[in-house]
Amino acid sequence: MFSMNTDMPGMQTGGLSVAVTGSGGSGAVTAGLILLEAAAKKGLYGLMMRSAGPQIRGGESASLLRFGDAPVACMSDHFDLLVGLDWRNAGRFAQEIPLDASSVILADPAVGSVPESFSASGARVRELAFKERAARVNGGRLNMVAVGTAGALCGLPLETIDAAVHKILADKGTVVVESAITCVALGYELAALPKVPAPGAPEESAARWRISGNEACGLGALRGGVRFVAAYPITPASDMLEWLAPRLEGLGGSLLQAEDELAAINMIVGASYGGIPALTATSGPGLSLMLEGLGLAVASETPVVVVNVTRGGPSTGIPTKSEQSDLNIALYGMHGEAPHLVLAPLDVRDCVLTTQWAVRLAEHLQTAAIVLSDQSLGQTRAVADPPAEFELSLQRLIERSPARDYRRYAATEEGVSAMTIPGVAHGMYTADGLEHDERGIPSSLAADHRRQLEKRQQKIDAFDYGAYWAEIRGDGDLCLICWGSSSGAVFEAANRLAANGVALRVIALRLLAPLRCEALRQALAGAKQVWVVEQNHSGQLYHYLRAHDVLSVETHSLAKPGPIPLRPGEIAKTVAEQR
Amino acid sequence: MTDLLSGDICSVAEFLVHALEMETESAERYRELADNMEVHNNPEVAALFRRLAVEGDAHAEQVKRRAGMYELPDIAPWEFKWTSPDAPESAAMDDVHYLMGRRQALELALHNEIRGQQFYTQVSGRSLDAKVQRIAKEMAREEGVHVSMLREWLAREADKLQAPLEDLDPPNMPE
Amino acid sequence: MTTVAVKAKDYKSGIKPIWCPGCGHFAVLAAITRALAYLERPKEQVALISGIGCSSRLPAYVDSYGFHGLHGRALPLATGLKVARPDLTVLVAGGDGDGFSIGGNHFLHACRRNIDLTYIAMDNRVYGMTKGQASPTTAPDWSASKMTPHGTGVRRFQPAAIALSAGATFIARGYSGDPKGLSRMLVEAIRHPGFSFLHVLSPCLTFRPEQRAWKAEAHAFTEETSDEPVEAARRLHADDGLGLGVVYAERLPVWPPRHESTASLAMLEEEFSA
Repeated sequence: MFSMNTDMPGMQTGGLSVAVTGSGGSGAVTAGLILLEAAAKKGLYGLMMRSAGPQIRGGESASLLRFGDAPVACMSDHFDLLVGLDWRNAGRFAQEIPLDASSVILADPAVGSVPESFSASGARVRELAFKERAARVNGGRLNMVAVGTAGALCGLPLETIDAAVHKILADKGTVVVESAITCVALGYELAALPKVPAPGAPEESAARWRISGNEACGLGALRGGVRFVAAYPITPASDMLEWLAPRLEGLGGSLLQAEDELAAINMIVGASYGGIPALTATSGPGLSLMLEGLGLAVASETPVVVVNVTRGGPSTGIPTKSEQSDLNIALYGMHGEAPHLVLAPLDVRDCVLTTQWAVRLAEHLQTAAIVLSDQSLGQTRAVADPPAEFELSLQRLIERSPARDYRRYAATEEGVSAMTIPGVAHGMYTADGLEHDERGIPSSLAADHRRQLEKRQQKIDAFDYGAYWAEIRGDGDLCLICWGSSSGAVFEAANRLAANGVALRVIALRLLAPLRCEALRQALAGAKQVWVVEQNHSGQLYHYLRAHDVLSVETHSLAKPGPIPLRPGEIAKTVAEQR
Repeated sequence: MTDLLSGDICSVAEFLVHALEMETESAERYRELADNMEVHNNPEVAALFRRLAVEGDAHAEQVKRRAGMYELPDIAPWEFKWTSPDAPESAAMDDVHYLMGRRQALELALHNEIRGQQFYTQVSGRSLDAKVQRIAKEMAREEGVHVSMLREWLAREADKLQAPLEDLDPPNMPE
Repeated sequence: MTTVAVKAKDYKSGIKPIWCPGCGHFAVLAAITRALAYLERPKEQVALISGIGCSSRLPAYVDSYGFHGLHGRALPLATGLKVARPDLTVLVAGGDGDGFSIGGNHFLHACRRNIDLTYIAMDNRVYGMTKGQASPTTAPDWSASKMTPHGTGVRRFQPAAIALSAGATFIARGYSGDPKGLSRMLVEAIRHPGFSFLHVLSPCLTFRPEQRAWKAEAHAFTEETSDEPVEAARRLHADDGLGLGVVYAERLPVWPPRHESTASLAMLEEEFSA
């Protein structure tokens, strides 16, 4: 671990991890947001997650940040700096804020003593008079003093922190902003460190985006053409819906708050039937309710996208924490045989591309796509490069001049049949969940069922998904396979192992269904040992891959359930131990 | 005899639109019944209703030709001047059963034709327009021909055994 | 050279209904085709949405766009379609089980929203498609179903009264045995801007042959249509469930209000960068 500030301006690629805890309205979240914004303005990449007690307001709260000069895609193994605004019930965050002997804890004895669960780590405690400094300022807040001190220790220039305060507190009024600035300056002084020069204005940092995973999924949806959303609020998906509502309207679309998830999924099927790309967002319990509706979309070949911001399961589970335990329901949840798409964004930034891709695929293949995001992506704010541009042109195949004998569900070679939409003359048909013949007339005949089953399977299987199906990096005997949000920690673990001379490759799956078995086998060719890494208890991806018979060599499962994220160190250690 | 007319029909055009609606609806209804009997595997009665539908179509065509030179008024479905729920010649849907035999179907048809005839007769009797009286009377006479025909067919059914109206199989659950 | 009956034929798809001979739904189908013919709605601008049940089979028999969706979910399906495509004429068809049991929640909220839809609920007080179970509108003492051999013992759901409480702005009751009244009410319902609830008594002669008696028992409401909810509630609660007519009609803002696009995607994306 490097010593802070003394080797500024360049930060090591490992980056810096800072946690701020407080309770009862002490502003730990605001403090975190300001530090993140300051880091962004300094030209750094970053991530910020939040953790909280169960209270609606006034509960205990923690901001967990990491920033550095390379893209940050996961939390580190431990935190370098812990700032305690107060220590009430802070012990609940102990597992999420691992410290070691090299960590530093900033604490004000006037607000309590550092809990055993933190001090037991051997971290050094620096006692600072935050409260006293705050009291010197009219309307002064303790958390702003702490921001100043922490910022100084992180090597952030005062000017940058000030700019961040202006941005984050913009709508609180000048009085609040002024007193905050004053407190920050006092806190900065408290650190007793040499001043860090203000940065020049690097162009790249100005172009960098501040975006959360939920916002990124929302943007991906809009980029993909979604103009109708119907949804029911659920943690942790609700802020995606809140972000989408005014913006959809601004684009001439609509967001409808449904009475329940059963209504939501059926509403988007209806809108999509009318020709408007449609989407909803939910979490595990909502996805369970939506399964019948998803089956209707698949059977009637109506494009829809459901973004599942996975939380701890099963049942009501752990609503505010993350897990990757909804792969099974996404793959297997529908009754009957209902081939469909399952995708998973690999990091916050990737939520844009993956969701956009999901929408375009669903539209083109006339099927249901489930996007497996999760709470660790959805509610994490990233400072990242602008999202990648989506390179493919995938359109809904619409029949505008149907022939006399137009058949909505004609069995074509690729499996996709052109659809008429209401308003197209002579193209009338009744979409149905019932099995049907090529014209859409309900049928229970074996030949019709077989034909439609094959059609719906064929269109999914025969499609060329191109390069987006996975991110593959490195080469070597050892292979790590992962999916969705755990990719960040896996890539970082792989980098560490590689730095220690281990030859390895990583396959991070973005497309989970259909499984690109051939491509996967090719990507695995030559590997002698495989680890399937995921954040769930039973190894859902591991078993899925086994079932598809793509793992022909010695394979291990590293499956750890939420709520604590997978850490690069534990992955690297586990893998290294078993080589 | 029930009063089948709920108001006076004052012009030939108005009369013809009523007649056309009656004949069309009657034929459509028989066609619907024929289809329905076919779907429920009662081919005998299906064939009978199909024949009646064809007769009805022919009669409707006749009315159309008669109406050729007239500008027919637009009448909303609920504004037709018959007191019966449906047009007088349309078979009531709830008098049918998938197990019904030819006899019952003919009785149904006969009842409708008689009612149709009565309607035209009443129109003829009540209208103050001489032309309407004449045309209505003609049509009543034509209906009379159908009535006789149906009576004849019915008479032929007299000796045949009718299947009991009971299906020994339990109902099915299609969905 | 045409009458409504002639024009109405054109709206039939030609697919033969599987309803039992004598089913009340035939009359509802006829009323729908007549209403569409009378209103001269182009077929491709009409969408008929249904759930599951005998009455939900109706969309296939009309030559328009349609969606035969999930049990109880016709209203959300129709809602999504109408909000995304406000230019269409959207009719919703279903039965008493589909609409008031599994679909009950959606019924409440659809009434509340006042979207411009016409909901035709064909009520035969039984689950016909699944062989004759009691439905929410079945009388508590009807004991002919094996599933509830002593009757349900539960009071009847009152669709029209609930529609009124839930905020529907057009409430009418029709009867398949009164095709004139049904046609007129249906035209009014479709024309009404907002959520129109047309409760249709439509007998199931297979499982409820005694419903033939409705012919004699159904009666027209004597009063004129009310625009006063309290008065309408009084009439509905005083009614024996067989009163026919447009009970309540009021003009309230149709939801959602129309809006135009005011922004572009490029503008939205600017909020993410410094």
